[in-house]
Amino acid sequence: MVRALLSFGVALLAAGISCAQSSTPTDQTEQIRVLLERIQQLERRVTDLEAKQVPASATAVSTAKENPLPSQTPQQQTPPPATQPHDHEVREQAATVQQMEQHYPSLQIRGFGDVDFAATDQKGTNSGFNLGQLDLHLASALSRKVTYFGEMTFNAQPTGYTVEVERNIIRYDYNDYFKISFGRYHTPIGYWNTAFHHGAWLQTTISRPDMVRIGGTFIPVHFVGFLAEGNIPSGGAGLSYNVGVGNGRGNVISRPGDAGDNNNNRAWVANIYSRPRGLYGLQMGASVYRDKINLMGRDFREWIIGAHLVWTKETPEFLAEFVNVNHRQVLTDLATNSQAFYVQLGYRLPWFERTVKPYYRFEYTHTPLSEQVFTNQDLVGSIFGTRWDISNYAAFKAEYRYTKREIANPWVNGFFLQTAFTF
Amino acid sequence: MNATNKRVAVVLLSLTFLLLSFGAHSIAQTTRGGADIAVVVHPETPVSDLSLSEVRQVLLGERQYWNSKLPVVLLIRAPVARERDVVLHVIYQMTEAQFKQYWVAKIFRAEAASPPKIVYSNDMQYELISGIPGAIGFMDARNVRPGLKVLRVDGHLPGDKDYPLH
Repeated sequence: MVRALLSFGVALLAAGISCAQSSTPTDQTEQIRVLLERIQQLERRVTDLEAKQVPASATAVSTAKENPLPSQTPQQQTPPPATQPHDHEVREQAATVQQMEQHYPSLQIRGFGDVDFAATDQKGTNSGFNLGQLDLHLASALSRKVTYFGEMTFNAQPTGYTVEVERNIIRYDYNDYFKISFGRYHTPIGYWNTAFHHGAWLQTTISRPDMVRIGGTFIPVHFVGFLAEGNIPSGGAGLSYNVGVGNGRGNVISRPGDAGDNNNNRAWVANIYSRPRGLYGLQMGASVYRDKINLMGRDFREWIIGAHLVWTKETPEFLAEFVNVNHRQVLTDLATNSQAFYVQLGYRLPWFERTVKPYYRFEYTHTPLSEQVFTNQDLVGSIFGTRWDISNYAAFKAEYRYTKREIANPWVNGFFLQTAFTF
Repeated sequence: MNATNKRVAVVLLSLTFLLLSFGAHSIAQTTRGGADIAVVVHPETPVSDLSLSEVRQVLLGERQYWNSKLPVVLLIRAPVARERDVVLHVIYQMTEAQFKQYWVAKIFRAEAASPPKIVYSNDMQYELISGIPGAIGFMDARNVRPGLKVLRVDGHLPGDKDYPLH
């Protein structure tokens, strides 16, 4: 009994010591904080001393007078220093401002990568490691109102690597209500496709939902054309829009017509969403996409409608999205409807410095047997996993998946690991 | 259990409790009390009163223009400064890590070309806000100097009873 109690005590002591050690950075933080406050005190003293050297005739800038602080603030208790700056101060100020002002073009490059491990009990598959996408993102302000965005991925293939231009966009901002851009986008249908793009580090889970899978066909993931976007004056509703016209699906249905459209019909897309000001973290929206598809000499009209509801705060995180894809063959008027949806729930735990987030996702895809544009994409499955942010820019994820594709196939159990990072 | 063992056990448990309490206190101590944090802008910025949700909209990069000719230039103090703590806690409602991830994702989504500019002292902040049209920053109300425009938030100025940023 005594030994057990002592062992328990020693174990708790060890835990206590490690906990106390973990508080060391907090001590350093406090020291830095104290030093910063000291710098501020010294700055105030320098300002006061300089003010005493200058005749008190200097006038305060009128705008500050127009918005005086209330009388009880310390600012009012001590008279503001005179503001006749010295020449060297003016020069220093100009240099600081010049240094911090935006210079054009101002290219920023950010990379994303991931390394994965997969093991399933599906017949005919091998377990093992694989390199995910290496993703390079470019952003460059070309002027105050013109910005370039680009994204390239390097994808591991059995015979080497393929390079793909994922996004290539130039955008002109008029104001918050109207921005127009041209290039290759992620089609603004629903939420996930434009919220997370290719960097696995950005998303909670290891993989994207099947309906927005990279290289998938359920929705046109990419879009080549132009896009107008902006906020809609709507008060507390916080409405925003995207409206675009482009080439639509190409001859390979998973790809947009990068090198040119395969017909004279343009696809168009409209997306409207709300981020209510009173409910910070909530976003809900609806999307419509219209296209005409040419597939092996047959023409199809495509209507896609989608809706999403998300709560982006991580306590909890909630993502839900639904899409219906309608295809109607022009010649026969035969129509099919395919549906897909997912619901994802995550929660960032308050312990371990908020670095751990368990999650669950259910997803479902149904394509009718009469569907002629897609191959069968039926899927039902659940994902349980945990994300552990090992730093601000890197994470480990572990997932268990239980999925079934098409009715005749068996359920598959899978275990997946990923480390995803940005650099 | 003899008396010595009992004493050792009690001492060990007491020490453990103390250390755990200290660790928990250190982790929990994330914000400190202090003066109100003023929202300050360049004097020519065409706003004087914003609601807290409008301030949030600006800081989230959802409002990027004061008007069609004047872009918003976001300034934020470097980590550890109290002004930053208050901005992250009250406006963004994010941790430091979430804030960094938010801006990486924002730029990656092509919704913004650059994150907020980092400023390291009040002097630097004063120089930038008074020198860059459209600039907005946050500073301890005691350090606000003439030459900057202090915005009302939800109709209140720093020092008012219901002022939300402190």
